[in-house]
Amino acid sequence: MSKNISNLSGRIGLKNNLFEKISERSLKSSNADGIKEIAKEYHMGVSTIHGAESFYEFLRPSHREKKAFVCNGSACMCAGTQEPLKKKLQEKLGDDKVGEMFCLGHCYENKAFHYDGENYAGNDIDKIDQIIKGEDIAQEKFFSKSYASTSFLMDDKLSNLDQFKELLKKFIDTDKQEITKSLLDSNLTGRGGAGFPAGMKWDFCRKAPSEKKYVICNADEGDSGAFSDRYLLEDQPLKVLFGMIICGYVIGSDEGVLYIRGEYPKSIEAINGAINSLKKAGLLGENILGTKFSFDLNICIGQGAYICGEETALIASIEGRRAEVDVRPPFPVTEGLYKKPTVVNNVETLAAATGILINGADKFSAIGNKKSAGTKLVCFDSFFNNPGVYEVEMGTPMKKVLNDIGGGFKEPIKALQIGGPLGGVIPITEVEKLNLDFQEFTAAGFMLGHASIVSIPKDFPMVEYIHHLFEFSAEESCGKCFPGRLGSYRGKEMFDQAKNKTAKIPLKLLNELLVTMQKGCLCALCGAIPTPIMNILKYFGDEMKDDMVKDN
Amino acid sequence: MSSEKRKIAYIDGKPYEIGSNHTSVLKFVESYLGEKKVPALCNDPNLAPYGACRVCSVEVALVKDGPTKVVASCHTPVAENQHIFTNNENLTALRKNIVELVLTDHPMECGTCEVNNNCELQDVANDLGISDHRYNTPKQHKGIPKDTSHDYMRMNLDNCINCGRCVRACDEIQGSFVLTMSGRGFESKITTDNDALFGDSSCVSCGACAHTCPTDAISDVYQSKSVAVDEKVRTTCSYCGVGCNLEASIKDNKVVAISTPKESEVNAGHTCIKGRYAFGFYDHPDRLKTPLIKRNGKFEEASWDEAYDFIKKELNRITKESGPDAIAGISSARCTNEENYVFQKMIRAAIGTNNIDCCARICHSPTAWGMQQTFGTGAATNSTEDIYHADLFMVIGANPTNAHPVTGAKIKQQVMKGKKLIVLDPITTELAQLADYHIKLRPGTNVAILNMMLHYILKANLYDKDFVRDRTEGFANFIKEIERQDMDHLAKVAGVDKQLVKEAAIAYATAKNSMEFHGLGVTEQEQGSKTVMLIADLAMITGNIGRRGVGVNPLRGQNNVQGAADMGCQPHQGAGYFEVADEKNQDFYTEKYGVVHPTKAGLKIPEMFDGAINKEVKAVWIIGEDIVQTDPNSAHVVQAMNSLELLVVQEIFMSETAKLATVVLPGTTFLEKNGTFTNTERRIQRVNRAVPPLPGTKTDGTIVTDMMQKLGFDQPEYDADQVLAEIADVVPFFKGVTRERLGKMGLQWPVQEDGTDTQILHKETFKLGKGRLKNFDWKESTEIETNKKEYPLILTTSRVLQHYNAATMTRRTSNINIVSEDLLLVHPNDANKRELNTGDIGRLYSGRGEVALKVEVTDKVKEGIVFTTFHFPEHMVNMVTGHGKDEETMCAEYKVSAVEVQKISNQFKTEIKPKENQAEVN
Repeated sequence: MSKNISNLSGRIGLKNNLFEKISERSLKSSNADGIKEIAKEYHMGVSTIHGAESFYEFLRPSHREKKAFVCNGSACMCAGTQEPLKKKLQEKLGDDKVGEMFCLGHCYENKAFHYDGENYAGNDIDKIDQIIKGEDIAQEKFFSKSYASTSFLMDDKLSNLDQFKELLKKFIDTDKQEITKSLLDSNLTGRGGAGFPAGMKWDFCRKAPSEKKYVICNADEGDSGAFSDRYLLEDQPLKVLFGMIICGYVIGSDEGVLYIRGEYPKSIEAINGAINSLKKAGLLGENILGTKFSFDLNICIGQGAYICGEETALIASIEGRRAEVDVRPPFPVTEGLYKKPTVVNNVETLAAATGILINGADKFSAIGNKKSAGTKLVCFDSFFNNPGVYEVEMGTPMKKVLNDIGGGFKEPIKALQIGGPLGGVIPITEVEKLNLDFQEFTAAGFMLGHASIVSIPKDFPMVEYIHHLFEFSAEESCGKCFPGRLGSYRGKEMFDQAKNKTAKIPLKLLNELLVTMQKGCLCALCGAIPTPIMNILKYFGDEMKDDMVKDN
Repeated sequence: MSSEKRKIAYIDGKPYEIGSNHTSVLKFVESYLGEKKVPALCNDPNLAPYGACRVCSVEVALVKDGPTKVVASCHTPVAENQHIFTNNENLTALRKNIVELVLTDHPMECGTCEVNNNCELQDVANDLGISDHRYNTPKQHKGIPKDTSHDYMRMNLDNCINCGRCVRACDEIQGSFVLTMSGRGFESKITTDNDALFGDSSCVSCGACAHTCPTDAISDVYQSKSVAVDEKVRTTCSYCGVGCNLEASIKDNKVVAISTPKESEVNAGHTCIKGRYAFGFYDHPDRLKTPLIKRNGKFEEASWDEAYDFIKKELNRITKESGPDAIAGISSARCTNEENYVFQKMIRAAIGTNNIDCCARICHSPTAWGMQQTFGTGAATNSTEDIYHADLFMVIGANPTNAHPVTGAKIKQQVMKGKKLIVLDPITTELAQLADYHIKLRPGTNVAILNMMLHYILKANLYDKDFVRDRTEGFANFIKEIERQDMDHLAKVAGVDKQLVKEAAIAYATAKNSMEFHGLGVTEQEQGSKTVMLIADLAMITGNIGRRGVGVNPLRGQNNVQGAADMGCQPHQGAGYFEVADEKNQDFYTEKYGVVHPTKAGLKIPEMFDGAINKEVKAVWIIGEDIVQTDPNSAHVVQAMNSLELLVVQEIFMSETAKLATVVLPGTTFLEKNGTFTNTERRIQRVNRAVPPLPGTKTDGTIVTDMMQKLGFDQPEYDADQVLAEIADVVPFFKGVTRERLGKMGLQWPVQEDGTDTQILHKETFKLGKGRLKNFDWKESTEIETNKKEYPLILTTSRVLQHYNAATMTRRTSNINIVSEDLLLVHPNDANKRELNTGDIGRLYSGRGEVALKVEVTDKVKEGIVFTTFHFPEHMVNMVTGHGKDEETMCAEYKVSAVEVQKISNQFKTEIKPKENQAEVN
């Protein structure tokens, strides 16, 4: 954590954002041109700029040389669609021009690729010639539907600027404490994974003494299987932005930023469009609706680092630092972006906050229980009969979620990974015992997280799945904490050797490694990756018997 | 009441009180149970908690027998009634497993490693009983070429454990951002700049990275972390006035490396390239090892007795023929207090004249004088520690990141974290780049700017009425004079935007604590003393004096320039600052020294030169001062020295001045001496002998004492401790000082009889009672008035980080490989007019002389200003500087010289011989 770099970056701030500067330079130039100038402008070292840019996948020369990228998220892996797709692209573009991206948010079709700044459905490979020519390809939208008695996230109560204006008028004239009380009463907990009460977060930040504060929307939805944030950003952008503006009003902030992953070009476009139309309508900017309240929004585009979904890494990234996880305390509500009090909320949390303000806290809290209240977006991959994103009431039995809403599976599935790569891997037999409830999942040794669901087919080797998880954490670990950096890599090596049949997995050492990572790691990336691995060892250990040795 | 309640937390079941310094569980545990209780690898107490290694994990429970959680103790706060478990089976397993992972990517070649037995990884692994790992053929970062490109630093990334301490030290301590982690995950690695070699990087060679590195991944050419040495001796640096505590490693009676003790109030383990690495001069082959007597224009080697007898004879002859006032001494601010004390005693008591001065004359004499006039005490009002309590810094005419690197780094750290900064400087220094208000004034206009600031503060009614009423006098007239100042005129002469000055003034007046620092950009000007007094005014009218985080703080240039003046190496005041002309004081000194003390105020250095040329001064004795290279108008100085009948020079090298000597006496470096230095914050610190004097040399104190005895003065054999006892008897503010009491950290004067020292001066009252508000109008420097037509540019000079003044010492170290010449900085507009480009050789000339320098075109300098350093005798920049002097103290006006620059095609050597027509005495 460099207080100096945070403060120096904050001297210039979001309007001429350092991270954006670094990204631009790096994407434009394959040498060191301009790096000294940036360092000088921000009073930092050339090393500061180099250290940051070398952190991001998209800014590396190896990435920039490529033209197309195949999605290598968990869902696409389980469907086995990556290799054929990659081959086809390589045939067109050359072997060295095709790379991989971790999850393009097309899990509802388990097949996707990225070409020249745009994402395409896997089946669009048939139109690759048109794509290369730069022709527009009509793209199908994924399916979405609310199954909630009251929809907080998918309704159309905030779908145009008139509605926006009316609501904004109402709420920036409402007592700030009343708004936080409403959020507290709703029992809304953060949808990003950690589950902290949203109203409490806003209230802490409201009380933090500072002339400058920030609102951050964490739109770095990197979890494979999840495309719910993508849905909100692209289909309900006003709900998300409204949540940010009201948060700004409540905490006393005049500036916010959405950190959107670069893998979601359409989301960036949608939010950009929404911000521009709000600005034009005078609903963003100086003295909104003639009041004393001013608020402006900026976008930061992620450059290929899963860790940026972790809030301290996300803040570091915006500041132009290496996106390494920082120690807490201090928490962002007291020392966040540029060391100023900051609310960092997930996309869905902000949209839900808007939904609560529109529909009333009591309606939200009436669903589920105190710690798992309201509605939640759930995503199904294409192994389900009804792939898509759905708004589901907390507390709904999983059996109902999977079978009635998801429509059951197209082929035999042995387990689900729910909540992204860090979520639990749950045998089908176990998942049906659960309800859609954060605490229930945790108590059973899993994690609901973002409630994205990846199906693992019956014949998919679990050794490969664990290898995938270790590889993912080794690839995405920020490298700061020792057990994370070394542990994830050593785990990957173990499963490399098992896959290649060069060595068997030393089970005792593996178990010690998993406990070390779980207990020792600084953040949930490498600290939670043992959860699904331990689940697999517990429930599917037999499957891997031959690949293991007990003693070592 | 509840806030005063003692808070308790439990460590392994036992209750301990939580103190205010227990900012983490680790600090809490360490403070009671020692550093070894909880192992750690990425932790350094001088760096912010980082939480990378996780080896310091402990278990905590909120209540007794409650559920426990594993947390990294370095960044977890201690909570009341918390139960902390430092050790159990789970924790041991966790720590072992983590260290095992580290060992999977470590060479394990301890036996041949520099840091064997002084390696934190080795210690932690040994304590955990682990020496190997169980992983099958792990990929390792092995065989990374060692980076030996730097003159001092060494990088061996095979041994790196990615703890990030070096990166954090470079950022959080030095503030240079040279090192970074690059890449990510398993492939992340330490690098410099944009993957540069260490030697090609922007590294400033402070060594903070090597110092904190837990292994030998970053070290230095001296292997300073090796414990294969005979002894380590703690001492005090002899470069600048910061006074860093150093630790010299001794092997076979040689200093093989220098490091820094982590627990030191002055520098907390930090220091700069000079302190840490530029010590190789001490046994350089160039060291003088035998007395030399010049006969027929040639030096001949002599025995000590021969040399002493020669000097004695000459001194006796001159005294007999011309009286003692024909003899003068220039003491050395590089020598110890004890040496300065005996030297002034020799000049005054054994020879009988007050003709004693030191280099404070040409640096901070206006500060001492000006602050005496306004406050009563001519020394920094506050301490370096106050930097952490200030909200705003005002740095005037100083470049601390170059000249006082540790203090500079401390200020920079605070400014980077958001503290405000005002810089008055014609040069865009490293700090000026970061400043909120950089007032880029023309040299010679400090008084104009300070009058503007005072004016704006008074106009805005932002002065501290209580302070002005209770603690100052002369306000009524002061405000009248300040109010009539013409802002437009002053802004114009200084070449600055008056709005910027106004904003800076208001910022200074309204910050909770405003702390001022100044350097020679204030003093080395015709209105130097006046500037100092106006700075004092500014502090007084805003109440920024007498408490934490404020004050008027000269950055003293030499390690012991404060001490040299304290000891009486000035012509008008004796040891302890008693006026020599005062009869009462004469009696006091007469009683202490046992002989009648002279009462006629002596000659200041420039007067000595003039006196020499006028044949009034016949003999000069100089200790360790290269006046030929460093005093202004070299030709004039050379002429003065050549006019003498006897010039005695005590030196460690054959300096430009020593070359002109009649007798050269080989002195010693600080590494070969005992004694004390007094730093810029009045801190008296011990100097401890690391190695014996080189054969043939004597400590400067011994030489002087030998001579006193030769001259028949009853002075006991030189012993630094005994002299210190004598000083404590004579100098009131040293009263309670003893070598034992100074301990490791030293004491800040005044030191009471019981040993209590003083961090902040003027808390309740000034030495003068009330502070005296004084005002002065700005006046153009005579130098400019006289010469601006013919010489339209203004030259101002300073130092670089890597070299120290005449660079007598630093040129004899590898620093010479890093910076090997003086450069002339020229503003692009001035360069254009003269068709100068970077890399050209420019002829820099004035009415006094000329030199040839390589040109760098840069907007770092203000238009109309040229800048250079004066480190290299090959260039002799002081051939060009002038005769201007501070009106009150005769401090040389180095910062304002009227010059011109011309492009020349081929380089020529600068002659030191005086050109007759250019060496007139003004």
